[in-house]
Amino acid sequence: AQDQQQQVKEEEEEAAVENLPPPPQEEEQRRERKTRRQGPAQPLPVQPLAESKNMSREYGGQWLSCTTRHIRIYAAYINPETNAFDQTQMDKLTLLLDPTDEFVWTDETCQKVYDEFQDLVDHYEGAELSEYTLRLIGSDLEHFIRKLLYDGEIKYNMMSRVLNFSMGKPRIKFNSSQIPDVK
Amino acid sequence: MQQGWLSNWLVKHEVVHRSLGFDHRGIETLQIKAEDWDSIAVILYVYGYNYLRSQCAYDVAPGGSLASVYHLTRIQYGIDNPEEVCIKVFAQKDNPRIPSVFWIWRSSDFQERESFDMVGISYDNHPRLKRILMPESWIGWPLRKDYITPNFYEIQDAH
Repeated sequence: AQDQQQQVKEEEEEAAVENLPPPPQEEEQRRERKTRRQGPAQPLPVQPLAESKNMSREYGGQWLSCTTRHIRIYAAYINPETNAFDQTQMDKLTLLLDPTDEFVWTDETCQKVYDEFQDLVDHYEGAELSEYTLRLIGSDLEHFIRKLLYDGEIKYNMMSRVLNFSMGKPRIKFNSSQIPDVK
Repeated sequence: MQQGWLSNWLVKHEVVHRSLGFDHRGIETLQIKAEDWDSIAVILYVYGYNYLRSQCAYDVAPGGSLASVYHLTRIQYGIDNPEEVCIKVFAQKDNPRIPSVFWIWRSSDFQERESFDMVGISYDNHPRLKRILMPESWIGWPLRKDYITPNFYEIQDAH
């Protein structure tokens, strides 16, 4: 049964994304990945009738996730409008990108992160669906975001609620090649 | 090497062991083979070591073996300096199995689980041997010398 679960898990991926600071609007990123990826990562179709399922105590009252400040990955389907959290669909991964709006995102930079997410999920195909694997993926995405920040592709949102420069103070004449542990 | 009286007692009763000398407090240290450890632990308990003061484990060297260390004390009424002994059991890294002493000294429960969690010694007959500090889905044994820390993102320079 576990093998099947892993198989299914890797078949689809979804990224529900909040982006663009002033009105935090969400964007769904989902894609079938039977075929090798060509072009940008696509969102899976929205499920307007999705309901929150399997969240109660008899199901353990917990979920598989990797949550750091800018990356929240859940092994479930999350409806972007209603935030319904459907844990029966653990074959999907949902990505919430920067929910606290620390950075200014554009469509292109969001797409870069989604593409990286897709690549990472492809890379970890066959791995066990566990917190550890999700944390590996989430950490790589955070390092990727850090690289984008150092290279000037994204910048801090000065209007964010908590302005503490969690990836380093703004610097000039600086890019990711000066940081050894950034991919 | 000078042998302590406990070592002599064990020799007299044909208990297989090897003396590793004395530590800085003069407490004798014995090495015991993993396959003998469950029976010798019973002998030591019957002899009077009724208190497992601490149990720990460490990685001896890169590519070397793992060690599980037991500090035993003999608690009696009206005794100022109770007898103590330190036992070391070594296990190979490819198959680190050591008999659990949970059923003799119950205080080894969490300690052996921590040793399992940190250096990956699997204690036979331990009732619930699972990770105690790290998340259960963790991969690898963090206190082994050949462990490579995963490049997990942490908040690095928040101000």
